[in-house]
Amino acid sequence: MLNDKNIYKPIRAKLTDVIDESQLIKTFVLVPEDKFSFKTGQFIELSVDGIGEAPFTPSSSPLVTEKLEITVMKTGYVTEYMHMLKPGVYMGIRGPYGRGYPIESFFGKEVLILGGGCGLAPIRSLLYALEGIKDKLVKVILCYGSKTPADCIYKPLFDRLNSTEKFEAYRTVDKADENWNGSVGVATTLLNKIKINIENSVAVVCGPPIMMKFGTIRLLELGYKDDQIYLSMEKNMSCGLGKCGHCMMGEFFVCKDGPVFTYDEIKHNPEIWK
Amino acid sequence: MQYNSFTKEEWDKTLEHLLLSYTIFASIENEFGQDYELIRPADIARISYNKPKPATSLKSFFLPVKENVTSERVDEKPRIILGIPNCDIEGLCLLDQIYLDKEFNDIFYRKRRENTILISSDCFGIQEYCHCLSYGIKPYSSKNADLAVINLDGKIVLKIITGKGEDFIKKIPTARSLEDKSVISVIEKEQLATETLLATSNKGLPDYKKTGKLVSEAKAEIWEKYSARCVSCGACTTICPTCTCFLLIDKPGFEKVKQMDACQYPGFERVAGGEDALFELHNRFRNRYMCKYVWKPGKFSSLACTGCGRCIEACIGKINKNEIFMELAK
Repeated sequence: MLNDKNIYKPIRAKLTDVIDESQLIKTFVLVPEDKFSFKTGQFIELSVDGIGEAPFTPSSSPLVTEKLEITVMKTGYVTEYMHMLKPGVYMGIRGPYGRGYPIESFFGKEVLILGGGCGLAPIRSLLYALEGIKDKLVKVILCYGSKTPADCIYKPLFDRLNSTEKFEAYRTVDKADENWNGSVGVATTLLNKIKINIENSVAVVCGPPIMMKFGTIRLLELGYKDDQIYLSMEKNMSCGLGKCGHCMMGEFFVCKDGPVFTYDEIKHNPEIWK
Repeated sequence: MQYNSFTKEEWDKTLEHLLLSYTIFASIENEFGQDYELIRPADIARISYNKPKPATSLKSFFLPVKENVTSERVDEKPRIILGIPNCDIEGLCLLDQIYLDKEFNDIFYRKRRENTILISSDCFGIQEYCHCLSYGIKPYSSKNADLAVINLDGKIVLKIITGKGEDFIKKIPTARSLEDKSVISVIEKEQLATETLLATSNKGLPDYKKTGKLVSEAKAEIWEKYSARCVSCGACTTICPTCTCFLLIDKPGFEKVKQMDACQYPGFERVAGGEDALFELHNRFRNRYMCKYVWKPGKFSSLACTGCGRCIEACIGKINKNEIFMELAK
C-alpha cells in the first residue's frame, strides 16, 4: 500500500545557532518542528526559503534527535545565502534520504576513516555513532587532511578523540603555515603512520572527488579488498528520492542507492570518479 | 481476453454521455498531423482510430512540464485518454516504476494515474520512424492499457485488458459482448500486417538486448560525430515517453515547483563547486544513450526506449538514433 505523504514538502526547522568553523565553513544548528531522526551517513535536503535546496549529510550525532547540525562550505548559490542566515529564521528539511554507513557490520573490526576537507562533516557524525558502539569495535583511526591548518574544522575533535579509548586521530595539511609543526602532505600520507590489521578492518573514505579516487587507490595498494572500502559519493542532486535523474551514476541513483557504497558495488562503473 | 462491441453511432453517443462525468482526450488528425486534443461533443466524430501515433507522448498527461508540488489540490474530474499507441503504454510502465515506488511515491502522479482510464488503440500501419517491434513491443496493447479500441468499418471493438477496464465497461449500458468472433481474426490479421510493415522497415536494427552492449562499447568518436549536429535543445528528451528527469525550484513559503529537466541541457550535472561531469556536448549526448540502453535496463524491468521514434522526428539537427545503431551494429 502506498502512503499519502507528499514527498516534496519540507518540514520547517528553526535555525538556533550558527557556528563559524573556518573562513568558508559554518555549522548550522537546527531544531525541526516535527519529529526528525537520521542514520549516520544519510543526507537531508536543506532549503533556504525561496532560494534553493541542496543536499547535506548532518555532522551531528544520529543519537541526538531534538536538534541537528549541518556543516556547510560556502561554495555555490544556495550555500552563499545560507552563510548570510542568522539564528531565528526557519529553514526547510526533507529527508533523511539514502543509505548511510552500515555500522552494525563494523562490529568486531578496526575502522579506518580517511577524510579530506569538508568531508569531515559527515565523518564527525559517523565518529559520534561509532563512539556510541565502541564496546563492539576493536579500534577507530581517523586520518584527516585539509588544505591548510586554517581550513581544518572541528579542531577540538582531534584532542577529544585522542583521549578517547580505542580512538586515534591524525591530521595533515597540504600546505603548512608558520605555526604548524604537524604532518605535511595529502591525507593518504598519514596511512604510512598508522598500525592497522587490514584483514580485520573496514575503511571509510569521505572527501573531495580527487581524494576519494587516490584514497581508494592507496587503500587497495595497502591490501584492502574492494568490499572493505566504503565511499560516500557526491553528485548533483535535486529530489533525493531516486526520481529527478540528476545524481545518476551508472545504474545507481546516488541519492537512493547510496550515497554510501562499497567500492565493490560501483567499481565496474567508469563514471564514478567523474 | 474479453471483447465488447458497439456500432460507431452507439460508441459516439457513449462518448458524448461519458463527457458528462469524464474529461476525455483523444487522438485527432489535424492540419499538422496526429495529436491528442481535449474532446468536446462536436469533436467526437473527428476522433481517429488505429492510426499511429500522436505527436505528443503520453507522459505529458502524468508529468506536466511545470507544477507546484507543495500546494493542496482539489480533486480533478476523472479522465479518459483514448487512442494511445502501445509504445506509450509501455513507456508509462517505466514511469510507474519510478513514480509509484514503494518507498517514495509521488502523490500527484499517483492521483492522475488512478484517475485516468487508458484506452489504447491498435496501430494499423506505421510511421516513418516507428520501431517498437525491434525492441519486442507489439504495435497493439494486450497487457498494460485498461482497454484497447479497434475501429473496423463502422464497428467499434473494445478489448478489456485490466480489472479497471472491466469495471469501466460495466458502467456503460450500451456495452455488449462481441458475438461475431470472426472479427477477432480480422483484427489479428491487421495486427500481423502492421508487424510485417515494421519488420520490413526496421530490418537490420539491433534489438533492445544488443543495444546496451553496442552503446557501452561505442567509441568516443561515435558520440562526437553524431553530437556535432546537436544544439542541446532537449527536444528528444521532452518528446520521449520515458524521459522523466526534473528539477525542483524553490519558491517563497517553502513551496517547490517541479519542472521537467533534461540531461541534454548544459549544467544538468554541475555541482556547487563548478565540476560538471557532462560539460562536454558529446558526453551529454552519450549520457542519454547510456541511460536508455544501459543504466535504466540495469535498474528497472520496463524498457527505457519503446521505439516510438519521436526523438528522431523532433530533432532539429536531424540526428537519427536508428542510423547510430545501424552504424554501431555494422
